[in-house]
Amino acid sequence: MKPTIVKREPVVDEAMDQCEARLTEEEIEKVINEVIDKETGGRLWTYINTCIHCGLCAEACHWYLSNDRDVSFAPVTKIKDTLWVMLEKKGKVDAAFIKRCSQISHTECNACRRCGMYCPFGIDIAYMILVVRRICAKLGMVPLYLQDTVHSHAATMNQMWVKPDEWIDTLQWQEEEAQGYVPSARLPLEKEGAEIMYSVIGPEPKFLAQLLGNITVIMKVAGLDWTMPATAGWDNSNMAMYSGDFEIMARVERLHHETAQRLKVKKIVMGECGHAFRGAEYDGPTWMGWMKPPIPIVHAIAFYYDLIKSGRIKIAKKIEGPITSQYPCNVIRNAGLGSKLRYIMSAVCEDFVDLIPNDRHAFCCNAGGGTINCGPPWKKIRVQSAKLQSENFKRTGAHTIVTPCHNCHSGVEDIVDGYKLGMHVKFFSELLIEAMEIPEHLKPKEE
Amino acid sequence: MFNIESWDWESKEKMLADTAKWKDKFEDVWEPYISQDGEKIASIVKIGEGEHNIAVNEGTWEEPFEKIWYSRFSPDGRLTALITKDMEWTMAVDGKTWEQMYEYIWDTKFSADGKIIAATTKVDSVYGITINEKTLECPVQLESIASHVISPDGKISAAIAQTVPLGQADLDGFLKGSWSVVVNGKPWKNNFVDVYGLTMSNDGKNIAVEYRDSICEYGILVNEKPWNEKFACTWEPVFHPKNSDEITAPVRQWGQWFLATNGRIVWDNGFYSLLYPTYSPDGNNIAAAVAPQFAKWTIAVNGQPWSVTFGECIQKPCFSPDGRKVAAIAKDKGNWLLVVDGAVLGEAFDNIWEPVFSPNDDKVICKVEKNGKYAIAVNGKIRRNDYEALWNPVVSPDGTKVMICGVEDGKYYRKVVPLSDI
Repeated sequence: MKPTIVKREPVVDEAMDQCEARLTEEEIEKVINEVIDKETGGRLWTYINTCIHCGLCAEACHWYLSNDRDVSFAPVTKIKDTLWVMLEKKGKVDAAFIKRCSQISHTECNACRRCGMYCPFGIDIAYMILVVRRICAKLGMVPLYLQDTVHSHAATMNQMWVKPDEWIDTLQWQEEEAQGYVPSARLPLEKEGAEIMYSVIGPEPKFLAQLLGNITVIMKVAGLDWTMPATAGWDNSNMAMYSGDFEIMARVERLHHETAQRLKVKKIVMGECGHAFRGAEYDGPTWMGWMKPPIPIVHAIAFYYDLIKSGRIKIAKKIEGPITSQYPCNVIRNAGLGSKLRYIMSAVCEDFVDLIPNDRHAFCCNAGGGTINCGPPWKKIRVQSAKLQSENFKRTGAHTIVTPCHNCHSGVEDIVDGYKLGMHVKFFSELLIEAMEIPEHLKPKEE
Repeated sequence: MFNIESWDWESKEKMLADTAKWKDKFEDVWEPYISQDGEKIASIVKIGEGEHNIAVNEGTWEEPFEKIWYSRFSPDGRLTALITKDMEWTMAVDGKTWEQMYEYIWDTKFSADGKIIAATTKVDSVYGITINEKTLECPVQLESIASHVISPDGKISAAIAQTVPLGQADLDGFLKGSWSVVVNGKPWKNNFVDVYGLTMSNDGKNIAVEYRDSICEYGILVNEKPWNEKFACTWEPVFHPKNSDEITAPVRQWGQWFLATNGRIVWDNGFYSLLYPTYSPDGNNIAAAVAPQFAKWTIAVNGQPWSVTFGECIQKPCFSPDGRKVAAIAKDKGNWLLVVDGAVLGEAFDNIWEPVFSPNDDKVICKVEKNGKYAIAVNGKIRRNDYEALWNPVVSPDGTKVMICGVEDGKYYRKVVPLSDI
């Protein structure tokens, strides 16, 4: 194989540098062969053997397209430079190679699965990237901030080191905030037998607590019977899925789904997050041996679609001006919610301007797949490699980009900032709160 | 169930509260809780902006509070709740507050007789376990408490706690170990990467946890001492009910789950998944939820899986009092089912609560939900009226009667029914 010409500015990631200094070749060989032999099945070999190296995947990848078609960013190259070498050398590679594998798999691929959609053989390149991440994670070669996030999941069962009392206290505070809009609103904690358990991701109580207040108002206006847990198990996010620490991934998912079972709810409704849906709906349950979540899980897009379509929530006044929306890969390409997203956007926006390409063909925000969690060291290349999507946003002429996903939200904020787009970035629930009708009997009484 | 012999097993029916009136009287009425003996029902009620109280049977607490939550009856029938006064939190017991106020208080726990009330507390950003108003002294500052348990006699308290402060993104510090177990305020000597699944033996003498020693190594600690064996993953351990030196836990090896006792694998079969190992009351048998294959869930008793499997999940198994039968709640095709010894009993429900065996094992009684109403089902068939709210049935100590507590037409009833009548 010809070596790939790789031009990258050096990036200092202390955790990866320290790991490189620590790892032995014996350890690397053992872990690679263990993962390949015991954790992958026939499909890895099918994918490896089926690939004809046509490069069509490259034309599907925003990393490749945003970097002037630099072949080192092409999906096929990412596999060539990682797994192919590991297989060819039967695991006899060095620590510097493993570090490069982590850089490629953790920081330069979002596992968004767009490439697989354009592969003539449907090869799931993202799966192979996750195999590389798994090997790296077992060797401790994970970017600093991503690993720290995984440690937070492991220690606290949430993504943001939120302590048990901080969680409950925040919910009680946001219940009060919600009562400013709708005095009878309540955020019911630990209500066994409620219809819905609402779960969120760690950043909501940590940085975006107003979203918890918003959902309290929305639930009241919609007249729904709901609850939130006062225990760990409230966080539906899962960066361990993306670092490659599948044991922690499973522990987090198990607790989330068992919390719903303990509360005897009929369904889990989750806030606006894409990767969390993937972890809670697919990857977590599969590892646990569940065909699907024991308690069904509904993403916010589908939930708001049902509320608006059924008339439980009525729109009083649509938001003015052109507004567009990011299509989060994990719930659009990978769960088919694109038409529901367009429906709710059209329902609350006077002028919904769709992205081109849209729906399952839309490009990733370039924050997904754990890349944004790799933190500041890797931000520059991440934003640089979102150039294509920045141009797509710019073409819409929108004043606001809606992001029904937390990773998209942060990633699109970086795009807006990095490319000086001058657009606002909002969650759908923030638009809904502005647009929805609050029935007279629920409004605060005038003094 | 504390003092169950002295409960009123003679009164056939008591209407103890007209909860429908609460809705007329108060701005908002939260979901109710009942005392173990069924004699009291309570709901947190909103009486004005930033003003709450608790309605108990026909009365309320004397003093309202800014906020009230987590109302729970102690086993001796006292009503506890967590309340705020002037923006500070404390415990209220039958309306009287503890003297000490806290930055926060949560996770109320009781001894078996209810005499001891414990909770996790925070004062000046330092965490502790507080038992009957006294916070246990700890030689190190606890940065966080993940969970706590107390022994049935209330004499031993244990919690998983962060005993070492960590800076932002301090991976080295984390991997050196920052979590431990604190027993009666005293931390174990060693810290670990992570500690999970804290379990205490019935006699309170032994404490077992799962721990993580590095990214990929898990094990079980018993009173600080690790099993010799390490595993790719573990789930929470359980103690033998009669011999607290015997500890069993699911462990993962070679891509499969096994059952291990005191470190040694005791079931020959490996499973795709294995959860909730449960000893029979005499400790002679162990049952667990297992998936012999992906998405085929069942119960294995002493390592042998039932032949029937369920597509979605199966919950913790429950032994009959004599240990001869095993019941579990399973989900298949969106329906919850009662399964006893490998056979589905009765019909499918929207929800089923923990099953209760009659003393001679011939009846399995459950609270069930169907079409938004609750009912008592016996062997999977609905036998009593629909209720708006219902609690788990309790069998009398002599095994002849069942206490059924529920709300019908807004009225809370405590009924005692001969077992032979249901």
